[in-house]
Amino acid sequence: MTGSEIGTADRAVLCGIGHWLPARVVTNAELCARLDTSEDWILSRTGISTRHQVEPGQGTSELAIEAGRAALKSAGGVPVEAVVLATTTPDYPCPATAPAVASALGLGGVAAFDVAAVCSGFLYGLATAAGLIASGMAQRVLLIAAEAFTTLLDPDDRTTVPIFGDGAGAVVLRRGQASEPGAIGPIVLGSDGDRNEMIIVKGGGARQRSGGPGAESLPQYFQMAGREVFREAIERMSASATEALAAVGWNLSDVDRMVAHQANARINAALASMLGLRPEVVLQNIAQVGNTAGASIPLLLAQAAQSGTLKPGHRVLLAAFGGGLTWGASTLTWPELDL
Amino acid sequence: MYELLKTILIEDLKLDPAEVSPDASREDAGLDSLGVVELSMVLSRRLDIDISDDELLELKTLAAIVQLIEQRTAGVR
Repeated sequence: MTGSEIGTADRAVLCGIGHWLPARVVTNAELCARLDTSEDWILSRTGISTRHQVEPGQGTSELAIEAGRAALKSAGGVPVEAVVLATTTPDYPCPATAPAVASALGLGGVAAFDVAAVCSGFLYGLATAAGLIASGMAQRVLLIAAEAFTTLLDPDDRTTVPIFGDGAGAVVLRRGQASEPGAIGPIVLGSDGDRNEMIIVKGGGARQRSGGPGAESLPQYFQMAGREVFREAIERMSASATEALAAVGWNLSDVDRMVAHQANARINAALASMLGLRPEVVLQNIAQVGNTAGASIPLLLAQAAQSGTLKPGHRVLLAAFGGGLTWGASTLTWPELDL
Repeated sequence: MYELLKTILIEDLKLDPAEVSPDASREDAGLDSLGVVELSMVLSRRLDIDISDDELLELKTLAAIVQLIEQRTAGVR
């Protein structure tokens, strides 16, 4: 089902945005001093120069609170009826991190829950927020995507450590009309659970805790099948982007900016090439922040809006792909915002 | 067919034209293990032929890739 079946009223409209990056910056040089890799390899393979990292003892909630606070301020300090947190790295396996974030933001009492869709988290979160608004349950939703992804990584894994970074982005969505600037267009979502092992942390969950043969040896760290993910990411993002454009009635040539999940600069370049988008349409900040998983899209949107590379009136295509496997795409026309 | 591959490598994969020649090794041309995935996808879309990235990784030169493309286009498995 796409959003186009819901009708012209009660859409989610973007009315505030914020982001936050932890202070600690990790350079390629620092990684090469302790990992068997080279700056050349990292840069040519991923396009990444630096990434941010949480301090020891810092959790995802800290990132989410700061980004959420910035988004609420941007929206003019309005009340919200729900806090949705997209994250792969909750502070604890139980409970969800969103209630603590809501309380810290002075929103204690509202509906608050986490959404887990790894790098597709923001798109899945958008759909969730849009649903809360369309059903009349919320006038406004604070949607945060926050990841302390570096905490999932094997510190000696040269194939993942250079790639991932920590960070958070947040948006406030209010009830409005499809015709308004900032209205989120029809959202395409998908999944493929047959390939759930392509992007995975096998240890630490119920399957390990329930015991059984081999349970103890399930890896505690993040694993990813690089080449297969590369292919799937390009194919799924290209297909869902095409579907989202068709649903909103845009041609590829109508797209002013593509803000896709940035797992690797090469994926976004290949995606743009495959879709036939001009290079200047593709926004990126992966060189500075790395792959921030579910936070990547709102983080880039916030930074690009602040720097002016994303302007009111720009027609924006969003696309994501991540563990699950999951994928999603949508569109919006960028509104005027208080930044 | 080499000219078509060259066009794909330069325009789609954005490889450095100076490094692309028939005798160039796959690596020297800049076609790494991610690049072959992209090439495999472009060949499938553009020429409707099925060459896996594993197969491409085994080939050492661009000439060898051209040869495989020609075989597949002719329907030889």
